[in-house]
Amino acid sequence: MTVPNPLPQARRRKKNPLPTVLGVLALVGLTAFLAFGNLGKSLEYFVTPTEYVQQRAELEGRPLRIGGLVKAVQYNPQTLDLRFNVTDGSASFPVQYTGAVSDLFKEDQGVVVRGEFQGDTFHASELVVKHSEEYNVPQTQAELKDLLRQAE
Amino acid sequence: MLNLISFDASPLGALGQLSLLAALAFTLGGTWLAALGGLKADARATEAARRAVWAVFALVSLSTLTLMAALLGDDFSVRYVAEHSMRASPTWIKVTSLWGALEGSILLWAWLLAGYAFILSLTLRRDALRPWALAAMYASLLFFVGICATVASPFTPLAQIPADGRGPNPALQNHWMMAVHPVLLYLGFVGLAVPFAYAVAALVTGRLSDHWVVVTRRWTLTAWALLTAAIVAGGWWSYETLGWGGYWAWDPVENASFIPWLLATAFLHSIQIQERRGLMRSWNVWLIVLAYASTVLGTFLNRSGIVQSVHAFAGGPVGPVFLGFLAFLLVAGIGLAAWRAPHLRDEGEPPAALSREGAFLAGNWLFLVFAVMVLVGTLFPTIVEAVQGRRDTSVGPAFYNAFAIPLGLGLLLMMGVGPLLPWRRAEGQGLWRALRPLLLAGAGAAVIAYAFGIRGVGVLATVGLSAYNVVGLGLLTGRALRASRASGRGGVVGLVREQPRRYGAYLAHVGLVVMALGIAFSSAYRQDAQVTLNVGAAPTKLLNESVALQTIRPVQQPYGRSIVAQVLIDEELFEARLNTYVQGGDTLFATPAVRYGLLGDTYLVVTAFDPGGKWASVRLIESPLVSWIWWGTLIVVLGAGLTLVTPRRAPARAPALQAAPATD
Repeated sequence: MTVPNPLPQARRRKKNPLPTVLGVLALVGLTAFLAFGNLGKSLEYFVTPTEYVQQRAELEGRPLRIGGLVKAVQYNPQTLDLRFNVTDGSASFPVQYTGAVSDLFKEDQGVVVRGEFQGDTFHASELVVKHSEEYNVPQTQAELKDLLRQAE
Repeated sequence: MLNLISFDASPLGALGQLSLLAALAFTLGGTWLAALGGLKADARATEAARRAVWAVFALVSLSTLTLMAALLGDDFSVRYVAEHSMRASPTWIKVTSLWGALEGSILLWAWLLAGYAFILSLTLRRDALRPWALAAMYASLLFFVGICATVASPFTPLAQIPADGRGPNPALQNHWMMAVHPVLLYLGFVGLAVPFAYAVAALVTGRLSDHWVVVTRRWTLTAWALLTAAIVAGGWWSYETLGWGGYWAWDPVENASFIPWLLATAFLHSIQIQERRGLMRSWNVWLIVLAYASTVLGTFLNRSGIVQSVHAFAGGPVGPVFLGFLAFLLVAGIGLAAWRAPHLRDEGEPPAALSREGAFLAGNWLFLVFAVMVLVGTLFPTIVEAVQGRRDTSVGPAFYNAFAIPLGLGLLLMMGVGPLLPWRRAEGQGLWRALRPLLLAGAGAAVIAYAFGIRGVGVLATVGLSAYNVVGLGLLTGRALRASRASGRGGVVGLVREQPRRYGAYLAHVGLVVMALGIAFSSAYRQDAQVTLNVGAAPTKLLNESVALQTIRPVQQPYGRSIVAQVLIDEELFEARLNTYVQGGDTLFATPAVRYGLLGDTYLVVTAFDPGGKWASVRLIESPLVSWIWWGTLIVVLGAGLTLVTPRRAPARAPALQAAPATD
């Protein structure tokens, strides 16, 4: 099985390149179709309440993650009904969620909720950040996001 | 300047670091010797390079054992131990801490790589590929041993030795599976280095006959089986510890292990076309280069922090170094392949569409598209951030499901046709006759499933394709059995012993069908409900079960505290826990109580509790056929193991297998 070097150049065979070309084109087309047809819809943005106010037209009804501080918590452990406001200091939105929340969920804590806006109320399907230990009030939107991202 | 060694602070640290540096020296020497042996055709240099591998393996083993000894002996003068272990942890947690964090996991990787290189050095044949296969293994070793000894050393000295360590990540203490999953994963990843090394050797020497493919089949299969087991073990860990009742979330790091799996699966199939028909030679080279590069890409994504993930370790210099190695692998692999492309000559005509190789090729395209799509989804948020400057976008599971379901069904379809078709060419008429029973069985099964109330299109298609696959394999086996009986040979056992490769592949396919059914049913018919239960209250109806909370009590553990809720579900006791760990602050980690069943699991998680012990909120999840995923994986791995068995009587048409028992 040891063939002496150097190898001869392969003879050019007349080969129909069409199947390969079609295959590659189909692959690229399918990838592009799936990627850009779906991706736009399934991309989920992470915004703060202020950013939502600014880009409301674009973001309403989309899957979102919204991050901010927790205010005005109302939780009924028996019905698992949770309502609170999420705020970044300037804008504030009510959030509605059904599910268990431990007593670690309290005022002024950082939170990220996943869900979508219906009108002015954010319907959360998931609380991503349940709590963080050392929480300092962030000064800017970017700082807030970084903090939440770390906690996540 | 890196502070690499300090003798006064830590004897074990110095020992580990010294042995790593010595291993690095042997790796450098071995690389040079192997290249010399290849360039000058110097057998003595090659032999020296081969023996240098033994020294590298011994030295990396020594430093791994040193780290293990430091972990078990609570020697906090070793930096890694101080940062990732603590006195109070149980012994098995201390053992798993070896790979529970960044530096240790890279050391484990380097050690396994050195182990594979050692086995390779014992099995290499004395041929022209030998020096270059060694040199390519050394190139990988150089990278992994190199970063272990420098930027990611677990042994770099500490300024101050603490009285107790910071302890392991709480999320990794919840389940024994954490002891299994990473090791399997690295065994799988690292195993792909060997076929990659052979491909490089074949490219460099220009000996692009089918020899390298024959030699590496077993290596690839072993790595593939381990990777399969590892991915599923990761899913099981997630199922058992994360408390959401699922096993796969398209997390970037899950994707990072899935992409190499897809490419390796494609490679396993396409090398058979090269073995049997001498076709697709350049395709195979590309595939293995990409598969190996994708393992490094996965590790890079995992370690660099550029992609958000639940598994991502914090950044540091390791990410860019991995990116550099990835770029090197891609440039070297692609450059070599492009340079040799004119010599990659296929024998005979290109594969016909209606032939086994045609089916394999179609399957290969599906695997490739799948891998590309998963990669696109994984990197898309990073691309958006780079292009639009819009941070923190993420791609939801909806994106992945949109292509994963059709592609998975397409693969099930090809999987049934492949073994049925003859090599070279199938006549249209023969194909129809062969396919008819399969299609009938598939349609019949789908109708029966529909009658039983299943309405999901994806689930019906999965059921139909499963029956189609199983009936196809059953018919093929039955036909072979009749032929074997007619010629007076043995039954099923004899058949399997004669052709373990074929029946191993059949078994692996059956395992995949079982897994596919498990995935389809558990994702389509999963039920999830939450409720708050009061101690001593009458049972509540939830998801057709009656649920009652008996007691809720705290239990002190050496590592933290557990809240144990005893819940009766249909008169059966479930004990679900919520744990806190001393190093995890107030963070709660759930340990669900799962009742495994062949037809479905009942899964209970405590999500919140009353400190006064009066009530607890629980989440009840019922998902059908989840355990089929675990059993299916076992079947796949057994099948892959069977294909490695040497046949009782080697078929006359494959003399190469007999000539090389040591490597094949």
